[in-house]
Amino acid sequence: MSADNQAIKKTNDKEIIVIKDLNKWYGNFHVLKDINLTVKKGERIVVCGPSGSGKSTMIRCINRLEEFQRGSLTVNGVEMIDDVKNIEAIRREVGMVFQHFNLFPHLSILDNLTLGPIWVQKKSKAEAEAIAMNYLERVKIPDQALKFPGQLSGGQQQRVAIARSLCMSPEIMLFDEPTSALDPEMIKEVLDVMVELAEEGMTMLCVTHEMGFAKKVADRVIFMDGGEIVEQNTPHEFFDKPETDRLQLFLSQILQH
Amino acid sequence: MKEFKPLPDLPAPISTTGPIGWLKNNLFSSALNILASILILAALIATLPGMIDWLFISANWSGTTQADCVKDGACWVFIRAWSQQIFYGSYPDSELWRVNLCLILLTGVIALSFTLPARIRNQISVPAFLVLPFVCVLFLDGSYIGLKQVTTNLWGGFSLNILLAAASIIIAFPFGFLWALGRRSDMPFARSVSVTCIEFFRGTPILALFFMGSVMLPLFFPAEVSVDKLLRVWIILILFMSAYMAEVFRSGFQAIPSGQYEAADSLGLGYWQKTLLIIFPQVIKVSMPNILATFVMVFKNTVFLLVIAVPEMLQVIMTALSNSNWLGGHAIEGYLFVGFIFWICCFSMSLLATSIEKKLDTSHKN
Repeated sequence: MSADNQAIKKTNDKEIIVIKDLNKWYGNFHVLKDINLTVKKGERIVVCGPSGSGKSTMIRCINRLEEFQRGSLTVNGVEMIDDVKNIEAIRREVGMVFQHFNLFPHLSILDNLTLGPIWVQKKSKAEAEAIAMNYLERVKIPDQALKFPGQLSGGQQQRVAIARSLCMSPEIMLFDEPTSALDPEMIKEVLDVMVELAEEGMTMLCVTHEMGFAKKVADRVIFMDGGEIVEQNTPHEFFDKPETDRLQLFLSQILQH
Repeated sequence: MKEFKPLPDLPAPISTTGPIGWLKNNLFSSALNILASILILAALIATLPGMIDWLFISANWSGTTQADCVKDGACWVFIRAWSQQIFYGSYPDSELWRVNLCLILLTGVIALSFTLPARIRNQISVPAFLVLPFVCVLFLDGSYIGLKQVTTNLWGGFSLNILLAAASIIIAFPFGFLWALGRRSDMPFARSVSVTCIEFFRGTPILALFFMGSVMLPLFFPAEVSVDKLLRVWIILILFMSAYMAEVFRSGFQAIPSGQYEAADSLGLGYWQKTLLIIFPQVIKVSMPNILATFVMVFKNTVFLLVIAVPEMLQVIMTALSNSNWLGGHAIEGYLFVGFIFWICCFSMSLLATSIEKKLDTSHKN
């Protein structure tokens, strides 16, 4: 038991994402200002903040869905430079779940899941399907494998999207407001899957306003506003003893109702 | 605790469903609608009997020469007497099987793409389609595969309209796709070449292109180089069609939400994998009505070939009309027949496209 803990402790020390002085502009608009963030392997981070604060943009920089103009970003030891091979290498290590699921509507659920393993990892079809079914079982919808995304509920689609990312056995999972487009009744089933994933030790960066989720699983909660990281802390400190008045105001606004 | 019981579903009121409901909703829903329905009905009563009489009842169906057309109605004998030319042009009698073979191959390849299981459909149909035009050329010409050569000036009739349109559409498909990709590309060279090609061929009338190809182009070539006229026409049709297809595809590309690109990127798919596996199938789906419209347009445009004396169907009819044995006005029958045949073909293509749309539709919206 203690040996296991030792092992986990060791991997936890590995810095898997290192963001240094990251700056990004949309035209003349300065969206990200001097972002510095280090994520250790197995760490679970929740990012919150008002809309337009740059939180989605920041996590989208990590798999290069957004370019940045200044600063440096290293993912799993690979530095993000303007090179296709490099970018694809990083993307293979980083899974992403989107607000609007972004499943491929012309492919069945199973084909959505096997696409990456077959075409990117060059696995055989049988092997890819075995992996896919395994993950579909973990998100508790193996019976939907042959349906199309349009036939599933929002919650089911988002669970498929999570499974699709997991099929690539990523080192890091990014979640960009995964529950914001869901009906209230379906949020829980998606959060349950995410909690399970967190308990298994996946490195996770999650943009969300589900504060219950943050309190339950996050190692660190980050608050962003105006393109800056304003405050970061353990959930306990973050919610109970906010250091800045800006975070206090934000928390009072989202927790009031 | 009280148990919640949903109310049972009741049938809809009779006046909104069934034939009476249909009539009420579609023909007699308002004063203006009632008036329009009555006027149209009156117009049909006034014209339809005469039309049917001319077309069928007093029409001349049997015989071989103009003298057999004794009754008042349409002289279908004219069409019958010229039927071989109308369909095959001047292709030699003994070699007609080659034209038929090509048409059967075309039908076969289309049928194949509908019947093959989805798993292997693309791997087989796509190469089959792309090879088909060249196989047809080999058979129709014959000289390269040990058959008697039939020069292209003898090819003609409606089979030429069909095969030329099909061959152009097939080759224009990948070209149009590449041009559309080029136009969306970040690379300045690819983009400017694509934009130039698309805008040139879309901005020029097809008639002008045909004249240019048949009259002007040979002037630019050295005297000893001669490119077959039909080949030139084929290339022009391909380029013209590609430009239209490129714009059709481009509109399709723009209909695909950016999330699809992002999801494909985040899985680590490369550019071509993303384009061919994720984007292209969805582009085809949303573009289907426009692709069909372009197909129909090119198919009908093959009639314009008569201006540069390619013996396609309308040209054959016009030649027949000026034949000394058939003088005296069978123009109506001739043109009606051409219109009817084209309408049948275009309508079938329309039905085909609708069924493809249904087949591709996996959105399961209501």
